[in-house]
Amino acid sequence: MEQVTIIKERRIPTSGEVYVDVGETVTPDTLIAKGMVPSQEIHELRLYRNLNIDPETVKDHITKHEGDSVEKDEVVAIARSFFGRQTRMARSPIDGVVTDFSEKTGRMMIKGHPVPVEVYAHIPGIVQELYDDEGARIETQGYLHHGLFGVGGETHGELALAVESGDTPLTSSEIKQEHNGKILVGGSVATLDALREAVKQGVKGIIVGGIDQKDLTYFLGYEIGVGVTGGEDIGLTLILTEGFGINPIDNDLYEFFMKHAGGLACIDGTTHIRSRSLRPEIIFPTLSL
Amino acid sequence: MSSEKRGKFLLVDITHNDTKAILIEENKITGKSKSPTTVDEPTLDVTRGVQDAIRQIETAKNIKITTKNGVKQSVKLLCSSSASGGLHMIITGVIGNISGESAQRAALGAGALLIDTFSKDDKRPPYKKIAAMRQSKPDILLMSGGTDGGASSQVLEMAEIIKRSDIKPRYGTEYNLPLIYAGNISIQDQVDGVLGENGYALKMVENVRPLINRENLGPARESIYDAYMEHVIIHSPGYTKLAEWTDERIVPSQAMVGKMLFEYAQQQGVNLLAVDVGGDTTDVYSVYNGVFNRSLNAGIGLTYGIGNIVKEAGIDNVLRWLPSSFEERDVRNIIGNMMIKPHEKITSEERRIQAAIAREAIKLGVNGHKAIAQRLKGVVTERTLSDMFEQALEPTLLNMMKTQLVVGKGDAFKNQTIEDSTMILLDSLQPEGVTELYLDPENMAAPLGNLVDHDRLTALDLYGDSLEFIGTCIAPRGELKTEKDALRIDFEDADVSHVFKYGELTVVPMKSTEIGEAQIVPYRLDVGAGRGKTIKRNIRAGKLGLIVDTRGRPMTRYRQTVRLLPFEALGRES
Repeated sequence: MEQVTIIKERRIPTSGEVYVDVGETVTPDTLIAKGMVPSQEIHELRLYRNLNIDPETVKDHITKHEGDSVEKDEVVAIARSFFGRQTRMARSPIDGVVTDFSEKTGRMMIKGHPVPVEVYAHIPGIVQELYDDEGARIETQGYLHHGLFGVGGETHGELALAVESGDTPLTSSEIKQEHNGKILVGGSVATLDALREAVKQGVKGIIVGGIDQKDLTYFLGYEIGVGVTGGEDIGLTLILTEGFGINPIDNDLYEFFMKHAGGLACIDGTTHIRSRSLRPEIIFPTLSL
Repeated sequence: MSSEKRGKFLLVDITHNDTKAILIEENKITGKSKSPTTVDEPTLDVTRGVQDAIRQIETAKNIKITTKNGVKQSVKLLCSSSASGGLHMIITGVIGNISGESAQRAALGAGALLIDTFSKDDKRPPYKKIAAMRQSKPDILLMSGGTDGGASSQVLEMAEIIKRSDIKPRYGTEYNLPLIYAGNISIQDQVDGVLGENGYALKMVENVRPLINRENLGPARESIYDAYMEHVIIHSPGYTKLAEWTDERIVPSQAMVGKMLFEYAQQQGVNLLAVDVGGDTTDVYSVYNGVFNRSLNAGIGLTYGIGNIVKEAGIDNVLRWLPSSFEERDVRNIIGNMMIKPHEKITSEERRIQAAIAREAIKLGVNGHKAIAQRLKGVVTERTLSDMFEQALEPTLLNMMKTQLVVGKGDAFKNQTIEDSTMILLDSLQPEGVTELYLDPENMAAPLGNLVDHDRLTALDLYGDSLEFIGTCIAPRGELKTEKDALRIDFEDADVSHVFKYGELTVVPMKSTEIGEAQIVPYRLDVGAGRGKTIKRNIRAGKLGLIVDTRGRPMTRYRQTVRLLPFEALGRES
């Protein structure tokens, strides 16, 4: 495997703040940019129903007004009857802001708080260019190997070998507490139990020759479908180097992993299988910072 | 064959793997060749593959067609291309199933592969649209929205999203993404103000939906062809040189397939349904009552799109077409590997799985097609009581009972025998009534479709000749108890009749193509004229003969053995 220049474009999908400058050295955990995107959660409360009163009279009973922040389950309107002996209340279903209240219809709109989006460097390197309010381009030197298929997004950690050879299956008994936070190299196949144990032990990623497609389906909880992955929230990133089923890792590749055991590995399971293919990445940075 | 003598044409169709050249002289194919496509490394020059293909014809015929700068002037060169995965487009609209759908029809009709569609009413918030647009990297963006003089603010909001997205074209950042605006014409200036100088090669054309009850797809489609030629194709290696060899536009292959099928259906006076299952897409083309439609299920295919079929159809629906000796775990792994590492040569096990998958791909493709091949949405239609009884306002134009001609093409049939191909078509499409089944084994629709505008009659004759006629399928609609008499066919010319039982699939091999007039008498089933009503048809036999499928519609038998019944064995039973 040859050493290459690796370039990463790190951008957020909205305007925000960029925290790095051109020429700056970054580590995988360096925050590059952060912004806020509007929440998708919008709730309309028909307060007159909750309070069991006429819509026109709701205005006399609201406790929160347009622009007010509310917390989940916080009372936004209250009505008392029978000389205060019976109380009816309406509560906010989410944390958010009251965006609208109609005196005529007695309806209140509550929108969730904006959601932060941020992007980290993912690889150690040097900032080459800034994208106004959105991020930066980072360059590094290192080794890059593309797997065949992966699930889970970007992560990084120390590379560790979990099995003795590329044709040994990775079972749950090989996963130890000491593997917490590491990227593990398995062998010919990872069993379903091994994946579940790895999540339990806090393993950040697994690089393995193969996996039974059915086990992967069970692990994910759904069928993969079209070969577009990377956004799975499964507790780790999994990269297959050879394919589905029992497939020993190529000898040369396994030897390469052996050489780099103990070093930093930055991996990304994102896979787009189509003519514009994007295959999972295993990066071993060599740039000395 | 038409007798009029016409010019010389050299048709070239460039697909991802092969470059095909066809020489036509005096209305006949006089030379045909195939050479590997040379767009990718190490050659990186499409003209090398084209020259290789032409040279094969030159050598075989001992003639000279090529010159230093292309081909001789006496030969008209017509090129179509689907190399590099075809024409990748994204479309935007205001209302997804009104302007969005019209834009979709324009793009699909122009042979595009839709990567994504965006509309103001889709569920994604703007920031997610921006992220998805940035990731999409299309060849062309088609923007629609609003009728003429209608919606404007939503169209401009979408323009703002496109501007923010800073969408880069597929082939690099050194040129601007072609953006065709085919929306509300009264706000063209405002759209230009937002997008004109913001990294897009903007072109204004007439609205694809000028009125709510009218579609105008032609100008957008033409503009897509122009943009494909001017901005997209020239970024593929060697295409600039190829473009200099021909006076005509290099057009997307899928658009020419549509053109050929439309013309063929018109000439034959039939309703036609064609299915094409490729690696990562399933195309369905239909012509019903003179209306052409193409739909494309991106991500539904035999290699890259195979996993999606399992997801959409369910593994059990795939397994039902396979012998019980196939274990689910093995089938899943084989399917997974066909998705992530497609290979040319496949094992017999993979071939059987591919046939099972193809059935489900076609079913999904046809279901998707039903949504495209229908009346315009958003139009208020008056329904009378009689309309409701006559079902005059069917939700889709697609109707298997009214389909006289079915064509199967693409990778799904490439590795299969004619018998297996027939089963794929029968099981997936479940033709009803009397239907002629064909295969397009050489994929001639694309190059000959390119000939239509220059020599329509020759294109039609040659396309008809290139199709492989499997046979006529007679299949009644409805259900009966197994082994009950389903229908009787009286072959009037041969003075022979035969009763076919319900629940069978029978192939009647024939010695000649012409069977002549047959009277089809269904028992409590429907073959086109209504339940239990007799029809008379002139029936032709194909390569397999005549196919009688009495497995019922909808079909519930999946591993049915085929009964062979020689025509000579038919007895007089009526």
